[in-house]
Amino acid sequence: MIKITNLYKNFGPQTVLSDINMHVAPGEIFGIVGHSGAGKSTLLRCLNGLEGYDSGSVKIMDREVKDFSRDGLLELRSEMGMVFQTFNLMSRKNVFENVAFPLQIWKHPTAHIQERVMELLALVGLESKSHERIGNLSGGQKQRVGIARALALNPKILLCDEATSALDPKTTGSILDLLDDINQRLRLTIVLVTHQMEVVKRLCHRLLLLDGGVTQAMGQTEDLFLSPPENLKKLIDEDYMLIPGINIRLMFPRNVSQDSIVTRMARELGVDFSIVGGKLERYHDDILGFLIINVQPEHLERTIGYLKKQKLHWQLMEDGNNPYPHVAPEV
Amino acid sequence: MDQSVINKLLENFLYVAPELWEGTLDTLVMVLVSTGLSLVLGFILATFMILTNPQGLNPRPRVYNVLDVVVNLLRSFPFIILLIAIIPFTRLVVGTTIGSAAAIVPLTVAAAPFAARILEGSFLEVDRGVVEAARSFGAGDLQIIFRVLLPEAMPAIILNAAVIGITLLGYSAMAGIVGGGGLGDLAIKYGYNRFQADVMIYSVIILVIMVQFMQSLGNYFYKKIR
Ligand SMILES: Nc1ncnc2c1ncn2[C@@H]1O[C@H](COP(=O)(O)OP(=O)(O)O)[C@@H](O)[C@H]1O
Ligand SMILES: [Mg+2]
Repeated sequence: MIKITNLYKNFGPQTVLSDINMHVAPGEIFGIVGHSGAGKSTLLRCLNGLEGYDSGSVKIMDREVKDFSRDGLLELRSEMGMVFQTFNLMSRKNVFENVAFPLQIWKHPTAHIQERVMELLALVGLESKSHERIGNLSGGQKQRVGIARALALNPKILLCDEATSALDPKTTGSILDLLDDINQRLRLTIVLVTHQMEVVKRLCHRLLLLDGGVTQAMGQTEDLFLSPPENLKKLIDEDYMLIPGINIRLMFPRNVSQDSIVTRMARELGVDFSIVGGKLERYHDDILGFLIINVQPEHLERTIGYLKKQKLHWQLMEDGNNPYPHVAPEV
Repeated sequence: MDQSVINKLLENFLYVAPELWEGTLDTLVMVLVSTGLSLVLGFILATFMILTNPQGLNPRPRVYNVLDVVVNLLRSFPFIILLIAIIPFTRLVVGTTIGSAAAIVPLTVAAAPFAARILEGSFLEVDRGVVEAARSFGAGDLQIIFRVLLPEAMPAIILNAAVIGITLLGYSAMAGIVGGGGLGDLAIKYGYNRFQADVMIYSVIILVIMVQFMQSLGNYFYKKIR
């Protein structure tokens, strides 16, 4: 569906994308993940030619983006919908008119537009709001309009640039559900850019981790989260306030009973642990759990010995005052 | 005030009323037509400017710099000089250099670059994200100008049109100096040349009312469509 090879992109003297290689299969949800300024949006915009590139290749359904004529590029863009962090709706048009706009640009017959827009509004759950002004909608509703508009031309690929970053957690959840639903129902390929781990875990089949325009990691979401490379670990750990001592993250893949492990470990080792945090999370279709425990330095070695025997996924967390940064996690 | 003075004023007013009325109509026509024409010409110019602007739809910095200099040059001409300088051009276009039809030419030429600048500014004010969204589903540059920038900037454009109209109202009075017709012409003819200060005062009062009216009209439509 999408194939990128050896892609380079500069803004003046600054190299924003460096030797990017990735491919996205039809029907896949692919995440481009990284800190702000990593080059995620630029990479996404190379896909529909909103941004050019200096060398390498970007192929959409086997056609090189760079080789398109002006009109050809417009045509290509009509095959790819785009959803934005700031919604980017036209404030002077109502909900219906915003969704209808791409269809009008492509000169679809009025009767068809009427039908198609109502169908799309039903899909995103906004039938009753068709005549509402954009200013009267909540953030989540605005993004639903944005999604409906992006789907108006029946695209094969949906590009989402931080589609949920401006929304509160509950609304984010409902938008992610909607994207998941669209992906399955329409067999739509989705490429999404985000810095939110929630989004990655919940939606992405595979992901590319980007930092400073350089690929840090790429692979199946579940694999990457169970044994994350350094950079991803940092992103994941930013969600937690760590306490002094040594923080260890334990991960429970499917089929591992999680309830008793910590209590059993405490009993067998005769050591007390503080529990920093933990939760069960949905990773796409899977439920995975993790628990962060805090260990006193004198108990570290025995704890690690125990964990290794248990064949658990675990890691030491980045917390800036880890006195044993050299203790590498093992699986 | 003495009864006879009031009577005299009234008599004078009734005497000049038809001319005042005619002058008012002339001024209105001059201002409205030249505002409309300058907006159209300005829009054409602004289209090229927003296309070539470094932050525009299809950046062409060299072309933009040329347009930029030309627009600035035209705008920096004092109107009174422009009025005289383009007399040959005016004659070419309308066949005469006196009367309100002739005044429309310099008024339009003076306001068009101003309008272009204002329209360009209003277009640049439109949320870049909205433009990006239109691009993302394959809208072309001209479609973006006509169907995104123009409608989204319309409230700002209406307010600015009122400003242009009011500026041209002031200019139209100046056009009176070279026989341009309208209230300015009247004020100069009676008030300055014949020392009939009351006619000048009537003209000024009508001009003030027209300014208020145009601003209110602008505000009304701004509120209505925003
Ligand atoms: N149009 C541009 N001109 C110059 N530099 C840009 C432009 N767009 C982005 N950049 C720079 O490229 C880098 C990557 O930007 P971006 O792709 O927006 O990152 P992200 O989406 O990951 O936050 C940043 O350092 C940003 O400043
Ligand atoms: Mg970004």
